[in-house]
Amino acid sequence: MAQLTLKNLGKSFDDTDVIRDLSLDVADGELVCLLGPSGSGKSTVLRMVGGFETPNRGAILIDGEDHTRVPPEKRPTGMVFQSHALWSHMSVAGNVAFGLKLRGLPKAQIRQKVQEALALVGLKGYGERRVWQLSGGQQQRVAIARALVLEPKILLLDEPFASLDQHLRERLREELRDIQRRLGITTLFVTHGQDEALALADRIVVLRGGEIEQVASPDRMYRGPQTRFVAGFIGSMNFLPCDMRGGVSDHPLFAVRAAVPDGPVELAIRPEALTLCPARGTGMRVHLVTDYGTHLLVDVDLPDGGRLKAMCPPSARYETGQEVAPEASHVALFRGDAKLAEVTLERRVAVHV
Amino acid sequence: MTDLASSGTRRTGGTAASNGRGLTGLLLVSAPVALLGWLIIYPIFNAIARTLVVQTETGTAFSVDTYVRFFSDGYALANLWLTLWVTAVCAALLLAICLPLALYLRFAKSRVAGVLQGLALFPMFVPSVILAYALIRTIGPNGGVDLVLNALGLPKINSPYLTPWGPIIGLVWDNIPLTTLMLVAGLGAVSDNAVEAARDAGARPLALLRHIIFPQIGNAMLVVLSFTVLSIFSAFTLPYVLGPASPEMMGPFMQRTFSQVMDTRMAVTQAVISFLICAVFGAFYVRSIAKNREARR
Ligand SMILES: Nc1ncnc2c1ncn2[C@@H]1O[C@H](COP(=O)(O)OP(=O)(O)O)[C@@H](O)[C@H]1O
Ligand SMILES: [Mg+2]
Repeated sequence: MAQLTLKNLGKSFDDTDVIRDLSLDVADGELVCLLGPSGSGKSTVLRMVGGFETPNRGAILIDGEDHTRVPPEKRPTGMVFQSHALWSHMSVAGNVAFGLKLRGLPKAQIRQKVQEALALVGLKGYGERRVWQLSGGQQQRVAIARALVLEPKILLLDEPFASLDQHLRERLREELRDIQRRLGITTLFVTHGQDEALALADRIVVLRGGEIEQVASPDRMYRGPQTRFVAGFIGSMNFLPCDMRGGVSDHPLFAVRAAVPDGPVELAIRPEALTLCPARGTGMRVHLVTDYGTHLLVDVDLPDGGRLKAMCPPSARYETGQEVAPEASHVALFRGDAKLAEVTLERRVAVHV
Repeated sequence: MTDLASSGTRRTGGTAASNGRGLTGLLLVSAPVALLGWLIIYPIFNAIARTLVVQTETGTAFSVDTYVRFFSDGYALANLWLTLWVTAVCAALLLAICLPLALYLRFAKSRVAGVLQGLALFPMFVPSVILAYALIRTIGPNGGVDLVLNALGLPKINSPYLTPWGPIIGLVWDNIPLTTLMLVAGLGAVSDNAVEAARDAGARPLALLRHIIFPQIGNAMLVVLSFTVLSIFSAFTLPYVLGPASPEMMGPFMQRTFSQVMDTRMAVTQAVISFLICAVFGAFYVRSIAKNREARR
């Protein structure tokens, strides 16, 4: 079992810094998600760990041993690519067996291991198929089996489910989570989908422009984002610009008290932290109600032209154009990119119609 | 790469609009098909017929006498063997030179690769006559190489001029661009991810070539081989200018039989034999493509 350490990693392509100064510890058996928008350097980090890119600065340690300059064929890492990585001239079993054959294992043992690996990913009996006869989801399962059969110390996955449809993606995500738990394999998973990261990770690392923005558990990442960027990137968030004056925000709807120096701030409120009460004369009207079955998402037009999203219980009824008064239970205050304060508010009224 | 024909959905509709489109399509296709028939299919059968039919006093008769003569003539056979041998050597040399080049062009990420790609294409724009002349001036007797060696006090080279190695050098040089292009195109079918996955599984460069890259470019190699055979059997200028006088390669041999010996039927027979050999390679190629497409269905 293995532990991974990235120490002050830096990488540039053509004199452009893609990864600036990245340090990260991944504990034994942990599943860490690298999350960030496209171009933030997630793949580059993963490829450096896999040995496909050499860092310009810093070190990569696996179980305390320096692997910074070890080529991929000698690294104890197994990589799953987004797509087009299976060898189409081999059968499914051939793909899985390839690495074992290179290691010169006896035939019977190879057959045994291949069968186990295919069973692990739910492809028992698919060994003789050609890879192009498989669906996209099955191909990615083969890729996972192929990486796992070599018993790597670290499993690396670069957006492995990105080209699959939503339904399949969620299923494979759960299966991967199960397999990872069962094997207890240290895993680095790259994704640009925050839902995937929230569902899978023990810990999420949010990358932005080649730097770590925040490292936290999914729960902490969602409920306590440390920067404006993370707050906006993970989940949905209402941002309301206003000014702080004498410890109170001057927003007409949300007068938030916080020990914050005077100046411009943004109030950040999750849709589920908002309650809508029917009211008259507020000037705030329901614009659109979307029924997701489990909840309603209500868009509210503000008098100043802004718009709020509020999550409401499915039993609630709102009409388009109906006047409402929103109330917030939890507000975070950002100035620029930095978080100044978090405030939990008491409900003044709790009336549901 | 060569799998150009689409295997799209078959049209089953019977509406007036789609019938109209079908007619237009048929008309569009008929022009090239007619050209193909007129310029290629008809001449082939015409040539074969002319070699098999002789004029006698009583009219026309079937005869394979020119073929018998060709295959019992030691000189003609020597020419055929020489051509086959040159073809084999050229194909081997071309693969030996162009494969590393194509691998480099496909997988190197440096800027040098771009420059090299341009350089590799350069011979395509040099006409064979000029190439032949340039080769005579450099590696011919008392050519550039000899002058340099002489200045250094070294013996002259054993010039390949007027030996089979003359046309071989010229033909290889001439065919480098197209061969490289075809191999690079073939290597395009091997995705970066597939190669990296193999390295990840522990494949060193040689294993990578053997187990991952070569099996996926078999088709491209077959195309290269077919093209080499075709272009060398039909080559005239380089064998004529640089090659030996006896035995000679099929191109000059046909030309001489036609215009100096003035045995038209024999010349056509030689052409038909050359064509049949090329057709065998063509058949290999077509079969491999058909098999590939079948497998993918
Ligand atoms: N081989 C490369 N050569 C040049 N630039 C690259 C290379 N690989 C990645 N980059 C650049 O590095 C940045 C980060 O890329 P990447 O790590 O692929 O981002 P992500 O996976 O987060 O979308 C991008 O701006 C990309 O253009
Ligand atoms: Mg990426």
